Amino acid sequence: MKSASELTDYYYTELYDSLQELEQERHAVRKKVLTLFGILGALSLLIIAFIYNSCHCFNESFIWIGVGATTIGGFGYRMLVSGYRSGFKEKIIRPLIEAIEKELHYAPDAFIPQSLFQFSHLFDKRVDRFRGNDLVRGQIDGISLQFSDIHAEHRSRDSKGRTHWSTIFQGLFIVADFNKHFKGRTLILPDLAENLFGSYIGGMLQSRNFTKDQLVKMDDPAFEKAFVVYGTDQIEARYILTHTMMQRLLKLKNDTGSKIYVSFNGEKIMIAVDYDKDLFEPTVFASLLSIEQAMGYIRTLRSSIGIVEELKLNEKLWSKV
Amino acid sequence: MTALIILAVIVVIIVLMYNSLVAKKNQVDNIFAGIDAVLKKRYNLIPNLVSSVQQYMQHERGILEKVTELRSQAMKPGISDEQKIVLDKQITSALGSIMVAVENYPDLKANENVMHLQRSLSEIEAQIAAARRAYNQAVTDYNNAIEMIPTNILANMMHYTRKQVFEITEDERKNVDVGALFKQ
Repeated sequence: MKSASELTDYYYTELYDSLQELEQERHAVRKKVLTLFGILGALSLLIIAFIYNSCHCFNESFIWIGVGATTIGGFGYRMLVSGYRSGFKEKIIRPLIEAIEKELHYAPDAFIPQSLFQFSHLFDKRVDRFRGNDLVRGQIDGISLQFSDIHAEHRSRDSKGRTHWSTIFQGLFIVADFNKHFKGRTLILPDLAENLFGSYIGGMLQSRNFTKDQLVKMDDPAFEKAFVVYGTDQIEARYILTHTMMQRLLKLKNDTGSKIYVSFNGEKIMIAVDYDKDLFEPTVFASLLSIEQAMGYIRTLRSSIGIVEELKLNEKLWSKV
Repeated sequence: MTALIILAVIVVIIVLMYNSLVAKKNQVDNIFAGIDAVLKKRYNLIPNLVSSVQQYMQHERGILEKVTELRSQAMKPGISDEQKIVLDKQITSALGSIMVAVENYPDLKANENVMHLQRSLSEIEAQIAAARRAYNQAVTDYNNAIEMIPTNILANMMHYTRKQVFEITEDERKNVDVGALFKQ
Protein backbone atom coordinates (compact mmCIF):
# COMPACT_ATOMS: atom_id res chain seq x y z
CA MET A 1 0.00 0.00 0.00
CA LYS A 2 1.23 3.49 -0.85
CA SER A 3 2.44 5.62 2.06
CA ALA A 4 0.68 8.86 3.04
CA SER A 5 3.50 10.94 1.52
CA GLU A 6 3.32 9.00 -1.77
CA LEU A 7 -0.41 9.62 -1.84
CA THR A 8 0.10 13.33 -1.12
CA ASP A 9 2.51 13.47 -4.07
CA TYR A 10 -0.08 11.69 -6.18
CA TYR A 11 -2.76 14.15 -5.05
CA TYR A 12 -0.73 17.20 -6.06
CA THR A 13 0.87 15.84 -9.24
CA GLU A 14 -1.44 13.31 -10.94
CA LEU A 15 -4.64 15.04 -9.88
CA TYR A 16 -3.32 18.57 -10.48
CA ASP A 17 -5.40 19.30 -13.61
CA SER A 18 -8.61 18.05 -11.99
CA LEU A 19 -7.81 20.02 -8.84
CA GLN A 20 -7.32 23.23 -10.83
CA GLU A 21 -10.59 22.69 -12.68
CA LEU A 22 -12.46 21.92 -9.46
CA GLU A 23 -10.86 24.84 -7.66
CA GLN A 24 -12.28 27.21 -10.30
CA GLU A 25 -15.66 25.55 -9.98
CA ARG A 26 -15.41 25.91 -6.19
CA HIS A 27 -14.83 29.66 -6.49
CA ALA A 28 -17.94 29.99 -8.69
CA VAL A 29 -20.04 27.84 -6.33
CA ARG A 30 -18.77 29.78 -3.30
CA LYS A 31 -19.83 33.03 -4.94
CA LYS A 32 -23.31 31.65 -5.67
CA VAL A 33 -23.67 30.29 -2.14
CA LEU A 34 -22.64 33.61 -0.57
CA THR A 35 -25.06 35.46 -2.86
CA LEU A 36 -27.88 33.09 -1.90
CA PHE A 37 -27.15 33.49 1.82
CA GLY A 38 -26.91 37.26 1.41
CA ILE A 39 -30.28 37.48 -0.36
CA LEU A 40 -31.96 35.18 2.15
CA GLY A 41 -30.51 37.15 5.09
CA ALA A 42 -31.57 40.51 3.63
CA LEU A 43 -35.07 39.19 2.79
CA SER A 44 -35.54 37.81 6.29
CA LEU A 45 -34.46 41.09 7.87
CA LEU A 46 -36.83 43.02 5.60
CA ILE A 47 -39.80 40.83 6.51
CA ILE A 48 -38.94 41.06 10.22
CA ALA A 49 -38.65 44.86 9.98
CA PHE A 50 -41.99 45.03 8.16
CA ILE A 51 -43.76 42.93 10.80
CA TYR A 52 -42.13 44.87 13.64
CA ASN A 53 -43.23 48.17 12.09
CA SER A 54 -46.83 47.05 11.80
CA CYS A 55 -47.23 45.71 15.37
CA HIS A 56 -44.21 47.05 17.35
CA CYS A 57 -43.79 43.67 18.98
CA PHE A 58 -41.60 40.58 18.98
CA ASN A 59 -43.53 37.40 18.29
CA GLU A 60 -43.19 33.75 17.29
CA SER A 61 -43.28 34.57 13.58
CA PHE A 62 -39.68 35.83 13.81
CA ILE A 63 -38.52 32.37 14.79
CA TRP A 64 -40.47 30.85 11.88
CA ILE A 65 -38.86 33.30 9.48
CA GLY A 66 -35.45 32.16 10.75
CA VAL A 67 -36.42 28.48 10.40
CA GLY A 68 -37.78 29.11 6.88
CA ALA A 69 -34.65 30.98 5.75
CA THR A 70 -32.39 28.22 7.14
CA THR A 71 -34.41 25.49 5.41
CA ILE A 72 -34.42 27.31 2.05
CA GLY A 73 -30.72 28.08 2.52
CA GLY A 74 -30.01 24.40 3.21
CA PHE A 75 -31.86 23.20 0.09
CA GLY A 76 -30.34 25.95 -2.04
CA TYR A 77 -26.84 25.12 -0.79
CA ARG A 78 -27.28 21.44 -1.65
CA MET A 79 -28.53 22.25 -5.13
CA LEU A 80 -25.70 24.68 -5.80
CA VAL A 81 -22.94 22.33 -4.64
CA SER A 82 -24.35 19.07 -6.08
CA GLY A 83 -22.51 19.29 -9.43
CA TYR A 84 -19.26 20.34 -7.78
CA ARG A 85 -19.71 17.61 -5.14
CA SER A 86 -20.13 14.79 -7.68
CA GLY A 87 -17.22 16.15 -9.74
CA PHE A 88 -15.04 16.12 -6.63
CA LYS A 89 -15.96 12.52 -5.81
CA GLU A 90 -15.37 11.27 -9.34
CA LYS A 91 -12.20 13.25 -10.03
CA ILE A 92 -10.49 13.20 -6.63
CA ILE A 93 -11.86 10.52 -4.29
CA ARG A 94 -12.23 7.74 -6.89
CA PRO A 95 -8.65 8.11 -8.28
CA LEU A 96 -7.30 8.29 -4.71
CA ILE A 97 -9.04 5.02 -3.77
CA GLU A 98 -7.77 3.35 -6.94
CA ALA A 99 -4.27 4.62 -6.22
CA ILE A 100 -4.41 3.00 -2.79
CA GLU A 101 -5.84 -0.32 -4.03
CA LYS A 102 -6.94 -1.22 -7.57
CA GLU A 103 -9.26 -4.00 -6.43
CA LEU A 104 -11.64 -1.62 -4.69
CA HIS A 105 -14.89 -0.32 -6.17
CA TYR A 106 -16.32 3.05 -5.25
CA ALA A 107 -20.00 4.01 -5.32
CA PRO A 108 -20.45 7.64 -4.14
CA ASP A 109 -24.19 7.35 -3.47
CA ALA A 110 -24.36 3.83 -2.00
CA PHE A 111 -23.74 2.84 1.63
CA ILE A 112 -23.51 -0.13 3.99
CA PRO A 113 -27.00 -1.69 4.36
CA GLN A 114 -28.92 -1.00 7.56
CA SER A 115 -29.26 -4.75 8.18
CA LEU A 116 -25.47 -5.09 8.49
CA PHE A 117 -25.28 -2.08 10.80
CA GLN A 118 -27.93 -3.61 13.06
CA PHE A 119 -26.34 -7.06 12.83
CA SER A 120 -23.27 -5.59 14.56
CA HIS A 121 -25.39 -5.07 17.75
CA LEU A 122 -23.14 -2.14 18.61
CA PHE A 123 -25.94 0.35 19.19
CA ASP A 124 -29.06 -0.49 21.20
CA LYS A 125 -31.41 2.31 20.14
CA ARG A 126 -34.05 1.70 17.48
CA VAL A 127 -32.92 3.07 14.10
CA ASP A 128 -35.66 5.23 12.49
CA ARG A 129 -33.66 6.97 9.81
CA PHE A 130 -30.61 5.53 8.10
CA ARG A 131 -28.54 7.35 5.51
CA GLY A 132 -25.03 7.22 4.15
CA ASN A 133 -22.78 7.57 1.12
CA ASP A 134 -19.30 6.87 -0.24
CA LEU A 135 -19.38 3.07 -0.27
CA VAL A 136 -16.02 1.43 -0.96
CA ARG A 137 -15.95 -2.35 -1.37
CA GLY A 138 -13.65 -5.05 -2.67
CA GLN A 139 -10.83 -7.37 -1.69
CA ILE A 140 -7.53 -6.58 -0.03
CA ASP A 141 -5.01 -9.44 0.29
CA GLY A 142 -7.89 -11.87 -0.20
CA ILE A 143 -9.93 -10.28 2.59
CA SER A 144 -13.31 -8.87 1.70
CA LEU A 145 -13.71 -5.30 2.95
CA GLN A 146 -16.37 -2.63 2.67
CA PHE A 147 -16.89 0.73 4.33
CA SER A 148 -18.99 3.83 3.98
CA ASP A 149 -20.18 6.91 5.77
CA ILE A 150 -23.25 6.21 7.87
CA HIS A 151 -25.72 8.37 9.75
CA ALA A 152 -28.19 6.46 11.94
CA GLU A 153 -30.86 8.38 13.82
CA HIS A 154 -33.55 7.73 16.40
CA ARG A 155 -36.94 9.47 16.50
CA SER A 156 -38.61 10.44 19.75
CA ARG A 157 -41.58 12.58 20.73
CA ASP A 158 -41.73 15.01 23.63
CA SER A 159 -44.72 15.66 25.91
CA LYS A 160 -46.11 18.20 23.42
CA GLY A 161 -46.03 15.64 20.61
CA ARG A 162 -43.12 17.28 18.79
CA THR A 163 -40.74 14.99 16.91
CA HIS A 164 -37.03 15.02 17.75
CA TRP A 165 -34.26 13.30 15.87
CA SER A 166 -31.16 12.21 17.75
CA THR A 167 -28.01 10.77 16.22
CA ILE A 168 -27.23 7.19 17.23
CA PHE A 169 -24.06 7.05 15.19
CA GLN A 170 -22.42 9.16 12.54
CA GLY A 171 -19.09 8.28 11.02
CA LEU A 172 -17.29 5.54 9.22
CA PHE A 173 -18.60 1.97 9.32
CA ILE A 174 -16.20 -0.76 8.23
CA VAL A 175 -16.99 -4.45 7.67
CA ALA A 176 -14.31 -7.06 6.93
CA ASP A 177 -13.76 -10.82 7.08
CA PHE A 178 -12.11 -11.98 10.28
CA ASN A 179 -9.33 -14.54 10.24
CA LYS A 180 -10.62 -16.86 12.97
CA HIS A 181 -13.65 -19.13 13.28
CA PHE A 182 -16.05 -18.15 16.03
CA LYS A 183 -19.69 -18.86 16.80
CA GLY A 184 -20.79 -16.22 19.31
CA ARG A 185 -20.67 -12.46 19.52
CA THR A 186 -18.09 -10.16 21.09
CA LEU A 187 -18.57 -6.41 21.38
CA ILE A 188 -15.95 -3.82 22.25
CA LEU A 189 -17.33 -0.45 23.30
CA PRO A 190 -15.75 2.76 24.61
CA ASP A 191 -15.48 2.52 28.40
CA LEU A 192 -17.71 5.37 29.54
CA ALA A 193 -18.72 3.95 32.94
CA GLU A 194 -15.18 3.37 34.22
CA ASN A 195 -14.04 6.76 32.96
CA LEU A 196 -16.94 8.49 34.70
CA PHE A 197 -17.19 6.52 37.95
CA GLY A 198 -13.78 4.89 38.35
CA SER A 199 -12.87 1.26 37.97
CA TYR A 200 -14.71 -0.13 41.03
CA ILE A 201 -18.17 1.46 40.69
CA GLY A 202 -17.86 1.59 36.87
CA GLY A 203 -16.99 -2.12 36.79
CA MET A 204 -19.99 -2.92 39.00
CA LEU A 205 -22.32 -0.93 36.72
CA GLN A 206 -20.93 -2.71 33.66
CA SER A 207 -21.35 -6.18 35.14
CA ARG A 208 -24.98 -5.38 35.99
CA ASN A 209 -25.89 -4.14 32.53
CA PHE A 210 -28.79 -6.44 31.73
CA THR A 211 -29.23 -5.22 28.17
CA LYS A 212 -25.79 -6.59 27.23
CA ASP A 213 -24.15 -10.01 27.05
CA GLN A 214 -21.68 -11.10 29.75
CA LEU A 215 -19.02 -8.62 30.80
CA VAL A 216 -15.58 -9.89 29.73
CA LYS A 217 -12.73 -8.45 31.79
CA MET A 218 -9.54 -8.29 29.77
CA ASP A 219 -6.03 -8.84 31.11
CA ASP A 220 -4.49 -5.76 29.50
CA PRO A 221 -4.82 -2.71 31.79
CA ALA A 222 -4.45 -0.11 29.00
CA PHE A 223 -7.07 -1.85 26.84
CA GLU A 224 -9.37 -2.36 29.81
CA LYS A 225 -9.13 1.35 30.62
CA ALA A 226 -10.09 2.39 27.09
CA PHE A 227 -12.75 -0.23 26.31
CA VAL A 228 -15.39 -2.44 27.83
CA VAL A 229 -15.96 -5.89 26.34
CA TYR A 230 -19.22 -7.85 26.30
CA GLY A 231 -19.52 -11.31 24.83
CA THR A 232 -21.65 -14.40 24.61
CA ASP A 233 -18.65 -16.63 25.42
CA GLN A 234 -15.84 -15.76 27.84
CA ILE A 235 -13.32 -18.09 26.18
CA GLU A 236 -14.20 -17.10 22.62
CA ALA A 237 -13.86 -13.39 23.45
CA ARG A 238 -10.28 -14.03 24.57
CA TYR A 239 -9.62 -16.26 21.56
CA ILE A 240 -10.49 -13.27 19.36
CA LEU A 241 -8.89 -10.64 21.58
CA THR A 242 -5.35 -11.89 21.94
CA HIS A 243 -2.82 -9.53 23.54
CA THR A 244 -1.61 -8.56 20.08
CA MET A 245 -5.12 -7.81 18.83
CA MET A 246 -5.81 -5.67 21.91
CA GLN A 247 -2.66 -3.63 21.23
CA ARG A 248 -3.67 -3.18 17.58
CA LEU A 249 -7.16 -1.97 18.51
CA LEU A 250 -5.71 0.46 21.04
CA LYS A 251 -3.38 1.80 18.37
CA LEU A 252 -6.31 2.16 15.98
CA LYS A 253 -8.21 4.15 18.60
CA ASN A 254 -5.22 6.42 19.22
CA ASP A 255 -4.55 6.89 15.49
CA THR A 256 -8.12 7.88 14.67
CA GLY A 257 -8.47 10.02 17.79
CA SER A 258 -12.17 9.08 17.85
CA LYS A 259 -14.41 6.77 19.79
CA ILE A 260 -14.36 3.33 18.18
CA TYR A 261 -16.82 0.47 18.51
CA VAL A 262 -15.91 -3.03 17.37
CA SER A 263 -18.18 -6.02 16.87
CA PHE A 264 -17.19 -9.59 16.07
CA ASN A 265 -20.29 -11.36 14.83
CA GLY A 266 -21.01 -13.90 12.09
CA GLU A 267 -17.26 -14.35 11.36
CA LYS A 268 -16.98 -10.67 10.51
CA ILE A 269 -15.32 -7.75 12.20
CA MET A 270 -17.36 -4.55 12.12
CA ILE A 271 -15.79 -1.28 13.22
CA ALA A 272 -17.65 1.98 13.77
CA VAL A 273 -15.44 5.08 13.99
CA ASP A 274 -17.38 7.97 15.47
CA TYR A 275 -16.37 11.06 13.46
CA ASP A 276 -19.66 12.88 14.06
CA LYS A 277 -19.56 14.30 10.50
CA ASP A 278 -19.87 13.31 6.87
CA LEU A 279 -16.44 12.35 5.52
CA PHE A 280 -15.10 12.68 1.96
CA GLU A 281 -17.25 15.75 1.33
CA PRO A 282 -15.75 18.62 -0.69
CA THR A 283 -15.05 21.89 0.98
CA VAL A 284 -16.65 25.05 -0.44
CA PHE A 285 -15.10 27.62 1.87
CA ALA A 286 -11.52 26.31 1.95
CA SER A 287 -9.16 25.62 -0.92
CA LEU A 288 -8.85 22.08 -2.27
CA LEU A 289 -5.15 22.81 -2.70
CA SER A 290 -4.56 23.37 1.02
CA ILE A 291 -2.39 20.68 2.57
CA GLU A 292 -4.74 20.19 5.59
CA GLN A 293 -7.66 19.39 3.28
CA ALA A 294 -5.63 17.00 1.16
CA MET A 295 -4.15 15.24 4.18
CA GLY A 296 -7.59 14.93 5.77
CA TYR A 297 -8.97 12.99 2.77
CA ILE A 298 -5.83 10.90 2.36
CA ARG A 299 -5.53 10.01 6.05
CA THR A 300 -9.14 8.90 6.37
CA LEU A 301 -9.10 6.83 3.17
CA ARG A 302 -5.76 5.29 3.93
CA SER A 303 -6.62 4.33 7.50
CA SER A 304 -10.00 2.82 6.48
CA ILE A 305 -8.45 0.73 3.73
CA GLY A 306 -5.38 0.05 5.88
CA ILE A 307 -7.53 -1.60 8.55
CA VAL A 308 -6.88 -5.01 6.97
CA GLU A 309 -3.14 -4.43 7.21
CA GLU A 310 -3.23 -2.69 10.57
CA LEU A 311 -5.24 -5.39 12.31
CA LYS A 312 -3.43 -8.10 10.32
CA LEU A 313 -6.77 -9.49 9.17
CA ASN A 314 -4.90 -10.97 6.20
CA GLU A 315 -2.87 -13.23 8.51
CA LYS A 316 -5.14 -16.22 8.28
CA LEU A 317 -4.95 -18.79 11.01
CA TRP A 318 -4.23 -22.30 9.86
CA SER A 319 -7.75 -23.47 10.52
CA LYS A 320 -9.21 -20.89 8.16
CA VAL A 321 -6.95 -21.60 5.20
CA MET B 1 -40.80 -1.22 62.27
CA THR B 2 -37.28 0.24 61.89
CA ALA B 3 -35.78 -2.98 63.25
CA LEU B 4 -37.78 -4.94 60.70
CA ILE B 5 -36.51 -2.79 57.82
CA ILE B 6 -32.90 -3.16 59.03
CA LEU B 7 -33.37 -6.93 59.30
CA ALA B 8 -34.84 -7.08 55.76
CA VAL B 9 -31.91 -5.08 54.39
CA ILE B 10 -29.41 -7.38 56.12
CA VAL B 11 -31.18 -10.47 54.73
CA VAL B 12 -31.14 -9.00 51.21
CA ILE B 13 -27.40 -8.19 51.50
CA ILE B 14 -26.62 -11.74 52.70
CA VAL B 15 -28.66 -13.28 49.88
CA LEU B 16 -26.88 -11.08 47.31
CA MET B 17 -23.46 -11.97 48.73
CA TYR B 18 -24.32 -15.67 48.79
CA ASN B 19 -25.57 -15.61 45.20
CA SER B 20 -22.55 -13.68 44.01
CA LEU B 21 -20.18 -16.22 45.63
CA VAL B 22 -22.05 -19.17 44.11
CA ALA B 23 -22.08 -17.45 40.69
CA LYS B 24 -18.31 -16.88 40.88
CA LYS B 25 -17.63 -20.49 41.87
CA ASN B 26 -19.87 -21.77 39.07
CA GLN B 27 -18.17 -19.47 36.58
CA VAL B 28 -14.81 -21.04 37.50
CA ASP B 29 -16.23 -24.56 37.06
CA ASN B 30 -17.95 -23.59 33.82
CA ILE B 31 -14.80 -22.16 32.27
CA PHE B 32 -12.73 -25.10 33.49
CA ALA B 33 -15.10 -27.34 31.50
CA GLY B 34 -14.21 -25.21 28.45
CA ILE B 35 -10.50 -25.76 29.11
CA ASP B 36 -11.10 -29.49 29.51
CA ALA B 37 -12.77 -29.63 26.10
CA VAL B 38 -9.83 -28.03 24.28
CA LEU B 39 -7.27 -30.02 26.27
CA LYS B 40 -9.03 -33.22 25.18
CA LYS B 41 -8.85 -32.04 21.57
CA ARG B 42 -5.10 -31.70 22.03
CA TYR B 43 -4.77 -35.13 23.72
CA ASN B 44 -6.49 -36.66 20.69
CA LEU B 45 -3.84 -35.27 18.38
CA ILE B 46 -0.88 -36.58 20.40
CA PRO B 47 -0.97 -40.27 19.24
CA ASN B 48 -1.07 -39.11 15.58
CA LEU B 49 1.80 -36.73 16.13
CA VAL B 50 3.93 -39.35 17.89
CA SER B 51 3.30 -42.01 15.22
CA SER B 52 4.09 -39.53 12.43
CA VAL B 53 7.44 -38.42 13.82
CA GLN B 54 8.84 -41.40 15.74
CA GLN B 55 10.53 -43.10 12.75
CA TYR B 56 12.57 -39.96 12.16
CA MET B 57 13.22 -38.83 15.70
CA GLN B 58 15.51 -41.50 17.01
CA HIS B 59 17.40 -39.09 19.27
CA GLU B 60 14.24 -37.60 20.75
CA ARG B 61 12.66 -40.94 21.70
CA GLY B 62 12.67 -39.86 25.37
CA ILE B 63 10.54 -36.80 24.79
CA LEU B 64 8.06 -38.78 22.65
CA GLU B 65 7.69 -41.38 25.39
CA LYS B 66 7.27 -38.65 27.97
CA VAL B 67 4.49 -36.93 26.05
CA THR B 68 2.69 -40.26 25.57
CA GLU B 69 3.00 -41.01 29.29
CA LEU B 70 1.74 -37.54 30.26
CA ARG B 71 -1.19 -37.95 27.91
CA SER B 72 -2.22 -41.27 29.46
CA GLN B 73 -2.01 -39.68 32.94
CA ALA B 74 -4.15 -36.75 31.84
CA MET B 75 -6.75 -39.06 30.28
CA LYS B 76 -7.21 -41.05 33.52
CA PRO B 77 -10.65 -40.54 35.01
CA GLY B 78 -11.02 -38.75 38.32
CA ILE B 79 -7.88 -36.64 38.41
CA SER B 80 -8.21 -33.31 40.18
CA ASP B 81 -8.29 -29.89 38.53
CA GLU B 82 -4.92 -29.07 40.15
CA GLN B 83 -3.35 -32.20 38.61
CA LYS B 84 -4.81 -31.27 35.22
CA ILE B 85 -3.21 -27.82 35.49
CA VAL B 86 0.20 -29.35 36.29
CA LEU B 87 -0.07 -31.94 33.48
CA ASP B 88 -1.14 -29.28 30.98
CA LYS B 89 1.99 -27.27 31.74
CA GLN B 90 4.22 -30.33 31.24
CA ILE B 91 2.47 -31.35 28.00
CA THR B 92 2.74 -27.82 26.61
CA SER B 93 6.46 -27.83 27.28
CA ALA B 94 6.98 -31.37 25.85
CA LEU B 95 5.01 -30.57 22.67
CA GLY B 96 7.04 -27.38 22.30
CA SER B 97 10.25 -29.45 22.41
CA ILE B 98 8.89 -31.82 19.73
CA MET B 99 8.00 -28.91 17.48
CA VAL B 100 11.47 -27.42 17.88
CA ALA B 101 13.02 -30.84 17.09
CA VAL B 102 10.90 -31.14 13.90
CA GLU B 103 12.85 -28.16 12.55
CA ASN B 104 16.00 -30.32 12.43
CA TYR B 105 14.45 -32.87 10.06
CA PRO B 106 13.83 -31.36 6.59
CA ASP B 107 11.88 -34.44 5.39
CA LEU B 108 9.65 -34.28 8.40
CA LYS B 109 9.10 -30.53 8.10
CA ALA B 110 7.88 -31.03 4.53
CA ASN B 111 5.70 -34.02 5.43
CA GLU B 112 2.05 -33.25 4.62
CA ASN B 113 0.74 -35.06 7.67
CA VAL B 114 3.15 -33.37 10.09
CA MET B 115 2.39 -29.98 8.57
CA HIS B 116 -1.32 -30.56 9.10
CA LEU B 117 -0.69 -31.64 12.71
CA GLN B 118 1.40 -28.54 13.33
CA ARG B 119 -1.40 -26.31 12.04
CA SER B 120 -4.00 -28.09 14.14
CA LEU B 121 -1.80 -27.89 17.23
CA SER B 122 -1.10 -24.18 16.82
CA GLU B 123 -4.83 -23.54 16.43
CA ILE B 124 -5.58 -25.59 19.57
CA GLU B 125 -2.78 -23.78 21.44
CA ALA B 126 -4.52 -20.48 20.62
CA GLN B 127 -7.79 -21.87 21.97
CA ILE B 128 -6.09 -23.22 25.10
CA ALA B 129 -4.39 -19.87 25.69
CA ALA B 130 -7.77 -18.13 25.48
CA ALA B 131 -9.36 -20.66 27.84
CA ARG B 132 -6.48 -20.29 30.34
CA ARG B 133 -6.89 -16.50 30.33
CA ALA B 134 -10.65 -16.80 30.86
CA TYR B 135 -10.09 -19.30 33.67
CA ASN B 136 -7.47 -17.14 35.39
CA GLN B 137 -9.82 -14.14 35.33
CA ALA B 138 -12.68 -16.22 36.78
CA VAL B 139 -10.37 -17.64 39.49
CA THR B 140 -9.05 -14.15 40.33
CA ASP B 141 -12.62 -12.84 40.75
CA TYR B 142 -13.48 -15.88 42.88
CA ASN B 143 -10.30 -15.64 45.01
CA ASN B 144 -10.87 -11.90 45.53
CA ALA B 145 -14.43 -12.54 46.65
CA ILE B 146 -13.48 -15.22 49.17
CA GLU B 147 -10.67 -13.14 50.65
CA MET B 148 -12.22 -9.67 50.70
CA ILE B 149 -14.40 -8.25 53.45
CA PRO B 150 -17.34 -8.87 53.88
CA THR B 151 -17.79 -11.80 51.46
CA ASN B 152 -14.89 -13.67 53.09
CA ILE B 153 -17.01 -14.33 56.22
CA LEU B 154 -19.74 -16.01 54.22
CA ALA B 155 -17.20 -17.82 51.99
CA ASN B 156 -15.54 -19.21 55.10
CA MET B 157 -18.89 -20.54 56.35
CA MET B 158 -19.49 -22.11 52.93
CA HIS B 159 -16.01 -23.75 53.10
CA TYR B 160 -14.90 -22.11 49.88
CA THR B 161 -11.14 -22.25 49.42
CA ARG B 162 -8.68 -20.53 47.11
CA LYS B 163 -8.26 -21.96 43.63
CA GLN B 164 -5.06 -22.22 41.63
CA VAL B 165 -4.51 -20.24 38.44
CA PHE B 166 -2.74 -21.45 35.31
CA GLU B 167 0.76 -20.09 35.31
CA ILE B 168 1.95 -18.80 32.00
CA THR B 169 5.13 -20.17 30.48
CA GLU B 170 8.34 -18.13 30.39
CA ASP B 171 7.88 -17.29 26.70
CA GLU B 172 4.43 -15.86 27.27
CA ARG B 173 5.64 -13.90 30.32
CA LYS B 174 7.99 -11.79 28.23
CA ASN B 175 6.76 -8.27 27.61
CA VAL B 176 5.25 -7.72 24.21
CA ASP B 177 7.44 -5.35 22.23
CA VAL B 178 4.72 -3.18 20.75
CA GLY B 179 7.13 -1.05 18.75
CA ALA B 180 8.60 -4.07 16.97
CA LEU B 181 5.12 -5.49 16.46
CA PHE B 182 3.96 -2.58 14.35
CA LYS B 183 7.20 -2.42 12.39
CA GLN B 184 6.58 -5.96 11.11
